[in-house]
Amino acid sequence: MNSDVKATEVLDVRGEVCPYPDVKTQKKVKNMKSGEILEVLVDYPLSAERIPRSMEKAGHEILKVEKTGTSEWRMLIKIK
Amino acid sequence: MIDTSLMLSGLVVGIIFGFVLQRGRFCMNSAFRDIILMKEYTLLKAVALAIVVQMIGFHLMATMGYIQLNPKPFYWGAMIFGGLIFGIGMVLAAGCASGTTYRVGEGMMGSFVALIGLMVGGVITSGGALKWLDSDLKSGTFNVITTGDLGVNPGSLIREGNTSLTLANVLGLDPWILVAIIAIIILAVLIWKRGGEETKMEGTMYEKVFKIGWNWWVTGIAVGVVGMIAFLAFKTYALGISGGWFGFLNALITGDPDKLNWFTFLVIGVVMGAATSAVIAGEFKLRAPDARTLLKQFIGGLIMGIGAVIGTACNIGHILSGIPQLALSSILGGIFIVLGCWITAYIMFMRG
Repeated sequence: MNSDVKATEVLDVRGEVCPYPDVKTQKKVKNMKSGEILEVLVDYPLSAERIPRSMEKAGHEILKVEKTGTSEWRMLIKIK
Repeated sequence: MIDTSLMLSGLVVGIIFGFVLQRGRFCMNSAFRDIILMKEYTLLKAVALAIVVQMIGFHLMATMGYIQLNPKPFYWGAMIFGGLIFGIGMVLAAGCASGTTYRVGEGMMGSFVALIGLMVGGVITSGGALKWLDSDLKSGTFNVITTGDLGVNPGSLIREGNTSLTLANVLGLDPWILVAIIAIIILAVLIWKRGGEETKMEGTMYEKVFKIGWNWWVTGIAVGVVGMIAFLAFKTYALGISGGWFGFLNALITGDPDKLNWFTFLVIGVVMGAATSAVIAGEFKLRAPDARTLLKQFIGGLIMGIGAVIGTACNIGHILSGIPQLALSSILGGIFIVLGCWITAYIMFMRG
């Protein structure tokens, strides 16, 4: 897995409360094309675990979830 | 003032509970809302398992004579109304009573604002401007229905003088029969649906406990065991959140330390435990959402507080502690908390 994958779009949901990080990610993904890559920045622990789970269930590919700082995560989702 | 040993036991149980809540991300608002919002059942499974563990645990401890079950009175009108608005409030507040409390420990200022709303809502309803509403919903047509009214025996595991209805005494069944049936059904569903939703756990034992969010079944068992410890420690009831915060604000307003109760020390412990856990995991950060969300969270907290007093308990007192005692009040209250949550989640997130 290449860590320098270029994201097509970036979604920053840091500071958002439950469940907006998930809801906004879902909305964003719906408007993206197959093969595109979405980068999500999140600072809410539950969503950092729940978004990859629900995205995988929806058939998208999780390329990466990395903790980038104190309560901050960055994830790369490849659209189905 | 409650005695020192109770204070300490509340604080210690609270710290453990707070640690477990933060590690397990245990929030019933998420658990119920996510069923309809994202078809996510992970937290729901944790809740269900915690209920089964406690149901068996409470009845075992009561049968062995360590505790006596203490179900809440069946004020049916208050359970319906209080439960419904509590459910509405928790979606607006972005967390149930326990979820809001543990997130304060993570440094989330939106939850802190919701918590202040919860305390204010509770205090004005239990002894202030909204007291009439609480009284009206617990008298007249809405008066409590007791075992005496139905002419049934409360049951041998129930605290003396408690005439609350339970599934067991209303149906005239041995509670163990119901416990066995419910436990088998829930466990069968959990085992059948166990796969696919685990957090990917890689790392050392230390990392699994302190760094990565727990698997749902670890959380469910841990919450259940903490509930059993709480019942053993406090004797009168198991876990509760909202009543502790109401006591806290009441003590601040009146200056009367007698207003502090066991749950007050429990919830203070929860914040401490969650904060400790969040710091260790590198998840503690002071953060705040935008002004509009803050306002929404405050109003949500306020409504939750009003609902918790009218409904006589929050999600923890009812769903986590009351349903395992088979209390009819908690089953009804719990159903309406879930309904309120679903209606609000639909309106807020799913329309259009």
